[in-house]
Amino acid sequence: MASTAPVRKAMTGKAVTRAPRDTAHEGFLTHKRGRWAKVALTLSIVAMGAYLLTDPVPRHNGGTWLGYLLGSIGAGMIVWLSLLGVRKRVIGSKPFSLKGWTSAHVYLGLSLIVIGTLHTGFQLGWNVHTLAWALMMIVILSGLWGISLYANLPERLSANRGEVTQLQMLEAIRTLDRQLDTAAQPLGGEDAEFVRMSLEQCTIAGSLRQRLFGNYASDGNARALAAISEKVMAGLRSGRADDRLQQIQFLLERKEAALAQARRHISLKTQLELWLYVHVPVTIALLAALLAHIISVFLYW
Amino acid sequence: MSFIVRQVAKRADGGDIIRTRTLVQAELTVGRGTDCDIQLADLAVMLRHARLVKITADKVSVETTGGVPVEVGGKFVTRADLTIADNPTIDVGPYRLSLSPGEDGAVAITATRVVPPIEAADAAQETSIFSLSGAMPTRRRMAWVGALAVLVLLFLVPLFHFIGEDQADLPKDMVAEAARPITPGQAFGDGKLSVPTARPAAAGGFAPDESWSSGTLSNAHASLSNNCGACHQKAFVSVTDGACQACHTKAALPDHAAPARMARGRLPETGVMGAAHSAFNLPQGRCTSCHKEHEGEATVMTVAESFCTDCHSGLNGRLPDTAVANVPGWAKHPDFRATLVSSPSLDKPVFTRTALAGAREKSGLIYPHDIHQSTTNAVANMAQKQRLPVGADGALPCSYCHKADSDQVRFKPIDMEANCGACHDLAFARDGGTVRTLPHGKPAQVAGIIRDFTLSESFAPRAGVQRLSFDRRLPGKAPPPLSGGNPAARAQAAVVSVFTGKGLCTECHVITDTGAADLTRRFTIAPVSINDHYLPQGQFPHGKHKSYDAKTGQAACVACHTGVMKSKASTDVNIPGVANCRECHGAPAKTLLSNTAKAGASCDTCHGYHDGVAPGAPLPAGHVQPARVAGRQAAGRNRQTPA
Repeated sequence: MASTAPVRKAMTGKAVTRAPRDTAHEGFLTHKRGRWAKVALTLSIVAMGAYLLTDPVPRHNGGTWLGYLLGSIGAGMIVWLSLLGVRKRVIGSKPFSLKGWTSAHVYLGLSLIVIGTLHTGFQLGWNVHTLAWALMMIVILSGLWGISLYANLPERLSANRGEVTQLQMLEAIRTLDRQLDTAAQPLGGEDAEFVRMSLEQCTIAGSLRQRLFGNYASDGNARALAAISEKVMAGLRSGRADDRLQQIQFLLERKEAALAQARRHISLKTQLELWLYVHVPVTIALLAALLAHIISVFLYW
Repeated sequence: MSFIVRQVAKRADGGDIIRTRTLVQAELTVGRGTDCDIQLADLAVMLRHARLVKITADKVSVETTGGVPVEVGGKFVTRADLTIADNPTIDVGPYRLSLSPGEDGAVAITATRVVPPIEAADAAQETSIFSLSGAMPTRRRMAWVGALAVLVLLFLVPLFHFIGEDQADLPKDMVAEAARPITPGQAFGDGKLSVPTARPAAAGGFAPDESWSSGTLSNAHASLSNNCGACHQKAFVSVTDGACQACHTKAALPDHAAPARMARGRLPETGVMGAAHSAFNLPQGRCTSCHKEHEGEATVMTVAESFCTDCHSGLNGRLPDTAVANVPGWAKHPDFRATLVSSPSLDKPVFTRTALAGAREKSGLIYPHDIHQSTTNAVANMAQKQRLPVGADGALPCSYCHKADSDQVRFKPIDMEANCGACHDLAFARDGGTVRTLPHGKPAQVAGIIRDFTLSESFAPRAGVQRLSFDRRLPGKAPPPLSGGNPAARAQAAVVSVFTGKGLCTECHVITDTGAADLTRRFTIAPVSINDHYLPQGQFPHGKHKSYDAKTGQAACVACHTGVMKSKASTDVNIPGVANCRECHGAPAKTLLSNTAKAGASCDTCHGYHDGVAPGAPLPAGHVQPARVAGRQAAGRNRQTPA
């Protein structure tokens, strides 16, 4: 049967055959067995070798032939690296995968520490040139910070939230609020005030500082829980336990637990996001400083 | 006496549910409690918040019972009488009770929630709670602010400053300092040209374009630190020589050679470097090609040796008529060609550059170094008796005659009275208490004085006048009496004896007897020109070489000027060759760990670049100024160079 093979192929029932793919996940750090790590390392070593083997007079700086060469390479790299933000918005563009692009972004970005710093010849001062270098270093270090976060935090993030979505976390808190509201209706003025504190003065996320460091001791719910717990304890000691207050205490405790879970989630997400609030705006400022640096050098040629 | 109570609740779809009750009673309770007539389910409302009492047919009073006031007509009150016809409202917590006249004289009360309850979670809240957008300005806004701040403060503001800047005012003291000629041969390495501390910035304070400075200016130029336009005169045009020469005039800092010859002698740039320099408008051979500014305190003076050898290693290939030998580097530096007196003259000596090997100099002086350096001979004996500052070995030291000049580079000119006169005194008679001496360098005066003295002694001899012998003799020994017939003949004999006899002129000078009848013109003395700058193309700071190879003083001198102890004639040239310098300069240090040279071997250790085409002239005050340097060999020294 000469036609067996084509027939069998046609019988797979798939219109499009999927490309063979590793089942194990390969992150951008290990993409293509660290191809870009090797490229970046080579680039750095060549740059350092050239720096050490040349002896310009009076000293190394951006104005020697090596300085201009490193500066040109560095400026080109900065512009290309900053284009990751554009590339990731273009879905499915060829020929390079976004993962490969990201891998190159990370490793070439790290080699920029060497290229950019050798370009300065360690001649730093209070000027636009050193500003560009400093912004570049901030961008690179914040990127490094981001990578280290991506290596650890997602696991903790998913462990914290279990199977719960963010919206479900909020709903849980809102439900408890409604229960509290209902349960507090028979309460007298002072006790009702405490419940209102939990309902009206409770901030789930709060300021950047609170999000990062999780300090919510002065939050409405925490204060309400403390006050109600004290009253319940006092009631228990005097032998006149108030069932309604105990119910409120129970609800406040549950709300506190729901808040804690949401806030852990917020804290992790804040860390995952915060580095980008440095990385991206400083990159744009760096591009501006780079422009000012290059134009001013040639203007005062 | 009735109330119609209508309680309005919101439905999920936004519509209203209205429950209406008619209560036939004179008093209503309002509160959160389930037992209240109007129950308002909100924790801001007290369990029993207030009481409404119908006072008259058209009046109702409100009175709080829970201690928390109600709001009536914008005011918080604990009690108020309300006229129903006015349609009053009472705010209790988030609820509003609107009173109006109802049917059959009843009071209609509508209770509506006016402040909405806590909302349910929605997607918008989710974003603001769980992402940083709820706590930070957006990244886009931060990026705009940062980038614009950088562009405005560090680009546009300096740019407008540059555009609006007038022609720079140069600091007057700096200009004056720059216009002061440097001493030829003064090397940059000797520290005399450096400015130890940064000059203060000129008045006017901070200039915005200082933020474009790539580094600290050298100390000498620090006054210009807020005056970028002084050097950076045109946008995108590299600093021109004109900007430098606005202060460093050509008179103060002459060209190394004629610019046209420099251009021809320079090694032309090729390849990538040449293309890059040409593409970016960086012509070579400018001041700034060698002198790099913005490199910190003293670096504008730092120039690499390779810049010299770039041209000088194969100069005669590009400049065939050059008189300057090729110098590929210190290791292959050609041996010195000393500039020697070839024709002594009182006013116009002629110097010739001559290879050191076998060189002879014609100073016109008779002076054997060897007998003056002896430790035992008559010279030493006399020096000791005269209490001259002899060395420990009893001999006259070099420094007795060769005294360092003020900058410790060369020596003061030899002076007969100061350096020779202690022994070679020109006393010829003791006249009472006066020692009569002859003037040096004035042969006609000498002849006249001796003639007249002798004649006067013949015609009117005086007591107490004792003639002194010129011959080196024991003190107190009288000279033999003058022989001869008449006084004139005796006088002539005395003059002849002074000029030709032992012990006086002939000791050091070549005398010619012209036989002239005029006795004062009969004897001429060969002119003497004592060289005091054998290697004028460079400089050798003797003061820095007081010790050599662990020797000091006299021994250090002789260590380089090796032949001087045995030199029997002043025609000997005791200038060491370049090999002697290489023993230290460029030689590796003899320590285990250090591989650095014992002493510097860069071109500017000895040579100055900006000495002009006639280095070595003028010499410091007090030196004989050479009139000219003879011969093709010395063409580089003071030729008026053709283009």
